[in-house]
Amino acid sequence: MPAPHTPKQNHLLAALPDAEYARLLPDLEPLPLELGLPLYESGGPQEYVYFPTASIVSLLYVMHDGSSAEIAVVGNEGVVGIALFMGGESTPSRAVVQSAGGAYRLKGGALKTEFERGGTLQHLLLRYTQALITQMAQTAVCNRHHAVEQQLCRWLLLSLDRLSSNELTMTQTLIANMLGVRREGVTEAAGKLQAEGLIQYSRGKITVLDRPKLEARVCECYAVVKQESDRLLSGKRQTADRYL
Amino acid sequence: MIDNSLLAAMPRKAYARLLANLEPITLNFGEVLYEPGQTIRHVYFPGASLVSLLTLADGHLALEVGLIGREGMVGIPLVLGHRVSAVRALVQGSGAALRMTSANFIKQFRLSLPLQRELYSYVHTLMAQISQTAACNRFHVVEQRLARWLLMTHDRVKSDQFRMTHEFLGHMLGVRRVGVTKAAQALQEHSLISYSRGAITILDRKGLEAAACQCYKVVRDMHEGA
Repeated sequence: MPAPHTPKQNHLLAALPDAEYARLLPDLEPLPLELGLPLYESGGPQEYVYFPTASIVSLLYVMHDGSSAEIAVVGNEGVVGIALFMGGESTPSRAVVQSAGGAYRLKGGALKTEFERGGTLQHLLLRYTQALITQMAQTAVCNRHHAVEQQLCRWLLLSLDRLSSNELTMTQTLIANMLGVRREGVTEAAGKLQAEGLIQYSRGKITVLDRPKLEARVCECYAVVKQESDRLLSGKRQTADRYL
Repeated sequence: MIDNSLLAAMPRKAYARLLANLEPITLNFGEVLYEPGQTIRHVYFPGASLVSLLTLADGHLALEVGLIGREGMVGIPLVLGHRVSAVRALVQGSGAALRMTSANFIKQFRLSLPLQRELYSYVHTLMAQISQTAACNRFHVVEQRLARWLLMTHDRVKSDQFRMTHEFLGHMLGVRRVGVTKAAQALQEHSLISYSRGAITILDRKGLEAAACQCYKVVRDMHEGA
């Protein structure tokens, strides 16, 4: 039986002190996110922020000609919609559900009010923003320097870290759109990983069979992004407080 | 006085408090302000100077992910509660800047709501620049990206000529030196730039804008709206 859905399945919400959590709780609204659902369009307004619990949201940069590339993934470690508290009125990226599952949403106003109190939520959201910046910068480098196969490994590992299973529902076309490469490139890379027994791919499902091998295969970009998001929560307030 | 738009946007009182803690300095081409993994000692508000944020891959300088000039501040991790830089910050255009120690900056930042607001919104713009760079790297050819990079630099240094080697440009754009040479030649053949002995001169800005990918305008409009 699946565990009951609670906001604390999101790591940012789980890290809040009781008082802050209690203030947000009445405004946190559970909702299922379906595969392919757009949460924001590029340049569009943002009414809510989303805290994924068991879903993954992909942030895509959309070019004028309609082609797009993923610049970051957000799962239970983060929040979608940081433009709301950073004071940007709209976002240049598009947010689309990449793996279906639960999330909680919160009205932008409620988040802003709590953010401006300057407590733990503010601290966590800012640190999360730094982790997101690192992820975006690393994606930029990865796009430039690494082979599709390595990028696919990175993408699979980042996705799996955000889910509690070793299986992803995903078509090759979707992956190609995420990575901003041709579908044939993804097919070839996935075929290679499958032939070597690292993953199994069938009917829109990818199962990871050998995670250590996948980790050995991936470019360093995965570790850079992972360390940064691990540090986000393990560090808690220490860094800033020790300094002040 | 140093012309930095973040500082210029501050209310008079808040600005005066900051100024007392700011030290004028000159940043020199090639100077490294931060290394990845190092503790940040100062934040910098560039005037006419220009600072590149470079990410490493496989231990090498790999790609410029951000470019900061008079519109911004170097040291954004401090705004986000981190004391360590994830990137190398490299001075790419010599010129004036103001700097503040990290300790003073954190104090001022805590005290000043206008400063917080300005910097949060700047972070948002910087993130747009980084994500656009990620996508641009994926889709656009070196020549378009070189044109974009020259325009971004031109906007910040406000001079038609700047020093630059092909090797350095290769690190910025994440391509081999040969790739840069070819792209620069193409721009030169169209009389958009002239290139000699490590100095690039912008000859035809309009033409360069037409040669650049749309990414240039997207990010510029965001900065202007901010």
